[in-house]
Amino acid sequence: MIMQATISTALSTPIHSSVLWLIPFMPLFGAILNGATGRWARNTKLVDAIALGSVAISFLLVLCCFARLLGQAPENRSVNQTLWTWFDLGGAHVLGGLTQNTMNWAYKFDPLSGCMALLVTGVGWLIHLFSTGYMAEERNDGTYYRFMAYMNLFVFSMLNLVLGANMVIMFLGWEGVGLCSYLLIGFYFEREYCAIAGKKAFVTNRIGDFGFMIGFFLIFMVYGATDFDTLMGMTRTLLARPEITLFGISHAPTWWFNLIGCCLFLGACGKSAQIPLYVWLPDAMAGPTPVSALIHAATMVTSGLYMIARMNFIYINAPVALSLVLCIGSLTAIVAASMGLAQYDIKKVLAYSTVSQLGFMFMGMGAGAFSAGMFHVFTHAFFKAALFLGSGSVIMACHHEQDMRNLGGLRKLMPWTFASMGIATLAIAGIFPFAGFFSKDEILWKVFEGWYHGGNALNLVCWILGMVAAFMTAFYMVRLMVMTFYGEYRGAGHDPYGLTVPSEVVHHAAAHDDGAGHDAHGHDGQEAHGDHAHGPKEVPWNMWLPVFILAMLALVGGFLNIPHSLHWIGSSHFSHWIAPLLYQTGPVEHEAAGAMEYILMAVATLVWAPAAMALAWWFYAKDPAWSTPRAFVKRFPGVFKWVNAKYFVDEFYEAAFIGPCKQLGAQLWAFDSLAVDGMVNGAARFTLGLSHAMHWFDAKIVDGLVNLVAWILQQVSLGFRKFQSGRVQNYAFVMFLGFIVFAFWKFLA
Amino acid sequence: MPSMNAVLFISFLLFSVGVAGVLIRRNVLIILMCVELMLNAANLNLVAFARHSGTVNGQAFALLVMGLAAAEVSIGLALVVALYRKKDTIQVDQINLLKG
Repeated sequence: MIMQATISTALSTPIHSSVLWLIPFMPLFGAILNGATGRWARNTKLVDAIALGSVAISFLLVLCCFARLLGQAPENRSVNQTLWTWFDLGGAHVLGGLTQNTMNWAYKFDPLSGCMALLVTGVGWLIHLFSTGYMAEERNDGTYYRFMAYMNLFVFSMLNLVLGANMVIMFLGWEGVGLCSYLLIGFYFEREYCAIAGKKAFVTNRIGDFGFMIGFFLIFMVYGATDFDTLMGMTRTLLARPEITLFGISHAPTWWFNLIGCCLFLGACGKSAQIPLYVWLPDAMAGPTPVSALIHAATMVTSGLYMIARMNFIYINAPVALSLVLCIGSLTAIVAASMGLAQYDIKKVLAYSTVSQLGFMFMGMGAGAFSAGMFHVFTHAFFKAALFLGSGSVIMACHHEQDMRNLGGLRKLMPWTFASMGIATLAIAGIFPFAGFFSKDEILWKVFEGWYHGGNALNLVCWILGMVAAFMTAFYMVRLMVMTFYGEYRGAGHDPYGLTVPSEVVHHAAAHDDGAGHDAHGHDGQEAHGDHAHGPKEVPWNMWLPVFILAMLALVGGFLNIPHSLHWIGSSHFSHWIAPLLYQTGPVEHEAAGAMEYILMAVATLVWAPAAMALAWWFYAKDPAWSTPRAFVKRFPGVFKWVNAKYFVDEFYEAAFIGPCKQLGAQLWAFDSLAVDGMVNGAARFTLGLSHAMHWFDAKIVDGLVNLVAWILQQVSLGFRKFQSGRVQNYAFVMFLGFIVFAFWKFLA
Repeated sequence: MPSMNAVLFISFLLFSVGVAGVLIRRNVLIILMCVELMLNAANLNLVAFARHSGTVNGQAFALLVMGLAAAEVSIGLALVVALYRKKDTIQVDQINLLKG
């Protein structure tokens, strides 16, 4: 009977839920295997096989799970697996009284985490494939296995973050991706600026993590649970309470939700590079380009968004926190986009673009449109990964030249890369029907709608900022494309307009610290010979193919979430898909699409973005000498320098926070060395003095007494030893004398 | 027939010579000889007192002492040979290991 029951249970248990754990753990196995044995692998193809294979298996498993979700009713779309009890809290006093809580190592595969897992493993695999070409030079110097192991470890951490069924697992992944980011930014750690960039990213993320942890502790204090399902289920009950008392402070539940939301958002700011913690992301470009694509564009930086979408039940009930998200998001979008206008480094432009696009996503979240924000995460992952990998191909083909002034004319030389990046550019600019149109304009519309229907003036301001940022986005992307791919190749000394600048590649060895943010991809001499002679050419298939696939995804990805107003094209699959995970405040009503929405959409895609693109085209392509922008720079050198140097924010942080921190450290160090060390040294000196005195006492008094006894004995024995001549005759003589004396004594007596 | 006193005087002289030799001379062989002298002085006394008292006990004892002396001298010579092998000398003033 038991046997039969077991078998029937085993059969009825879907295979997918029992293999769920393998999705994150396959890359972990890959990382361990490569990390432990890669050093001795004679052929780096083996490292490739392990790294790519493990991620590919994960990807296939995710696909299986995803297919399974598709076949179920929307309410049941969740696969859970609890692996083991991580730790047992015992009893904890929280709001609801005593709670018995065990932290489980549990994974949860639902529409939201499933999409993220699909993104992480799918895009991750393509970027792994790209790396096999991009990191070819590292195959010879023995660091290749390290790179692949870190990449796999990153995929593991990221999957923990998205698949974790409670906040503890999520936090584990959250810290894990931070660690991998640090390791990979500092991959060329022998170059100082890479190590510094890694440190900067890590420390900046710590500040965010502090907020995240405070928020997460508050959630536990309020709910007594960390499990996402439980949290979501309990929210309605909590909101019904008149007030919540924690630490002796009583406030309405919304007040606490606002506090939690703001704390968690600080964490998201750190991880997703929002004002004021965005400064690490541009410097993170010091890492290899695949890292920039995978971690700093497609996946890790979106974890803040994922967290907010996961916590939507907090945010939707926290109006202040949501407004903060909206403000910070739109500010970041415009500030970062404006910085992108004045950069010449191809990767820097993309880095600021990423920060700016993340700002857009937060705008969507802030407007309460979680599905729109999340959808932009996915479309952005496609086109930004394509752009980053494409820039990686360009950098590789042009011998590590990253300054766009020294590139140009690559359109004919690298057709695949050009086509892919062109599609991605159209997508990010928001041209219909590319992915960016559907995601970005949906966000902007939702923000606008908050003012149009809700009368919220903040939304109008943010919408204007967003529109300006969108204009800038289209402008700097076309500027990047034109500078890189149009005109003539300026790298081989061909420079009729005097555009080129001394290449940093040449000066790299001499001035390392100058090139912060410069991809330090290895160029240690081996390419100096011969290679420079012939110009750039198309990269091998394992590099252009991933870029092309990503570009194709950017082309078609938008159709997964067509706005309701365009329902005659298709349905908003994505919004429906993640709808069960969103906290419903009221009945969903689909207002009939107003004329306003159509007008804005048409303006955005037909006038606004094309105008920006045309402007950039006119500035940079029509006039190969770039005379207008150059005249502007000549006219207002201060403004250009201000924007180019990122508004001196780094310098401001250095002066306002890092300097005082360092000074505080110096003061503390001085206190340490004077007072604390002084006390320790004083104690040591006192002990030393005491022991000197005791040594003197021992040596003079105690030893003196002992020696005195010995000395007395010695003196006494000196007298006696005279008798001990060692000559038998003397003894015999004494004996004889004794006999004589005895005889006389006897005789006389 | 010498008088008893004369014999005892001779014996006294012999013994004194023996004692002086043992105490003064450095050569082990001479010392051994002097020991023999002392033994013989004793023998002389034994024989003299035996004749004086008219019994043979003292004479028998003298014979025993002679035998003893023979044994003693053989052991003594053996010790001297061993000593010589060990120290390359038979001068007693150079054999002073027990010096304090």
